[in-house]
Amino acid sequence: MAIQMFEKPLGMRDDFPFIAKKKSALRSKGTAIMEQAGYDMLQTPTLEYYETIGKISAIPDNALFKLLDSQGETLVLRPDMTSPIARVAASKLLKEKMPVRLGYYSNVFRAQKREGGRPAEFEQMGVELIGDDSLYADAEVIILASTILKELNVESGRVVIGNTQLLHLILQDFGLDSGQIEAIREALVSKNNVGFDELADYMDMDPAKTGAFKKLMATSSLEDWRPYIDSANAQQTALYEDMLKLEQIIARNGLSEAITYDLSFISHMTYYTGLVFEFYGAGSGFPLGNGGRYDGLMQQFGMQVGATGFGLRIDRLLEAATGSAEDDRHTLILFDEQSEEQAHQEAQELRAQGARATLQYGPAVRDTKSFCALFSEVRNLGGALNG
Amino acid sequence: MDELTIAMPKGRIFEEAYELLLKAGYDLPKEIDDSRKLIVEAPNERIRFILAKPMDVPVYVEHGVADVGIAGKDVLLELDRSVHELLDLGISRCYIATAGLPNTEMNAVTPRIATKYPKIASRFYRGKGEQVEIIELNGSIELAPMIGLADRIVDIVSTGKTLKENGLVEYEEIVDITSRLIANPVSYRLKQERIRELVGKLREQVRT
Repeated sequence: MAIQMFEKPLGMRDDFPFIAKKKSALRSKGTAIMEQAGYDMLQTPTLEYYETIGKISAIPDNALFKLLDSQGETLVLRPDMTSPIARVAASKLLKEKMPVRLGYYSNVFRAQKREGGRPAEFEQMGVELIGDDSLYADAEVIILASTILKELNVESGRVVIGNTQLLHLILQDFGLDSGQIEAIREALVSKNNVGFDELADYMDMDPAKTGAFKKLMATSSLEDWRPYIDSANAQQTALYEDMLKLEQIIARNGLSEAITYDLSFISHMTYYTGLVFEFYGAGSGFPLGNGGRYDGLMQQFGMQVGATGFGLRIDRLLEAATGSAEDDRHTLILFDEQSEEQAHQEAQELRAQGARATLQYGPAVRDTKSFCALFSEVRNLGGALNG
Repeated sequence: MDELTIAMPKGRIFEEAYELLLKAGYDLPKEIDDSRKLIVEAPNERIRFILAKPMDVPVYVEHGVADVGIAGKDVLLELDRSVHELLDLGISRCYIATAGLPNTEMNAVTPRIATKYPKIASRFYRGKGEQVEIIELNGSIELAPMIGLADRIVDIVSTGKTLKENGLVEYEEIVDITSRLIANPVSYRLKQERIRELVGKLREQVRT
């Protein structure tokens, strides 16, 4: 079937003025908060090499938009922001300034197989804190993201926090081999409780342990995590101690109500190596964003430093952010040949006061009545009206 | 108490699932006519039921317009939507199998498979290392081998009666199917209390 004139490629959207306006409000609020927290905003190219960013980004190959440049190299439309920023941070320019705090508001591209709530191009805003492997860095980004959600009036905002590294150690303690851990991981990523229970029964584990194992997916506080921690294992106890400290910092910032600590929570993004988290809010059926610690990703760019960050999806924030009452006063000034000079003067006065004013040559409007309905105030400075 | 929206499949599974909820102690209207109504309210429990086509339940849940839903594992395997699979309800038990005319071999060059479940069928034959052509049909799959459209069918079998009546025999069993309680990932976090309570109550019923 021939493509109709109005059609767009699968998953592509037009932002009509009222959406564009909402987005720019989100953007200015969000970036202001990030900048206040000491993050410098940056922009990276839309196109990257498939060999580097394409492969490192942890986005499945069939979700990448690929094209060839004139040299025959395969390029991708950037599928995420974390890997390009990691690339930038690993450059000489920023290497000496560690830890660096970088923020972004950019569009990313992921090819979709079906439509409906799945745009193939969407904007993300977020931060990356690179060169600090302490828990204080993790706490900083979680608090920052929560602040943004709160400032955007997201209702019942919630953060779920897990720890990939600790979970891995605990799974090993259950006597699982790497193949079994991989199967368990898959069930956990898709939150398949049924599959998880089936695996637990099938993996001939010590029957005394099976019960505890099955409860892994029901943990919702650090207290629930405690029985899984082997007190003789220094690495586990250290990681758990860190979690407790993190909890205290979060509590001191008045956020503990909105946090769930789920030991079984892991991300589909495979580059996260430590703490992982995801954000939710009423109004959107999909998570608002996610983040975590990705020290392993920095290694791929040849740097042995810690890094953590988050990204929030603008399309979903638009659904969840209730927004504040905005000033939508908008004056229309209709003029004709005689009143043209006066119209300009009035418009300038209004604009100088910070108001919105549209100047329109009256006779050029076909249907004046419906055109005027678009404005909160109309000043007709000239003559007869059409329509 | 948060309001809970539950997407239910119309038809056979609905009755069994509704029965299960009643047994679990939910105060729901005793008689509901599920033939025409699309939304049924249970105000005493602050629950709202959406009655949908079985194949559509995971779609409503994925988008979060329903917090939880009840869907057959066959539908979940076929649609591959991002929903949480919380509990095996053990109802509407059946399995997916391949079937065909008795004592027949599949065409050696281009074996053709008729099914309502193209993804499940394709995954199964790929797993066996066989290259087949999938023909998607919407019902009465048994017709396909009888009139020579396909060598085999991949379909739900509960008693095997339909196959027998049409002179077909079962060849391989692919996967066991039961109905599952599924949840939207966001609702699972934001309405955690209510959903956990539901899972707990239903789990007790499933055990007995």
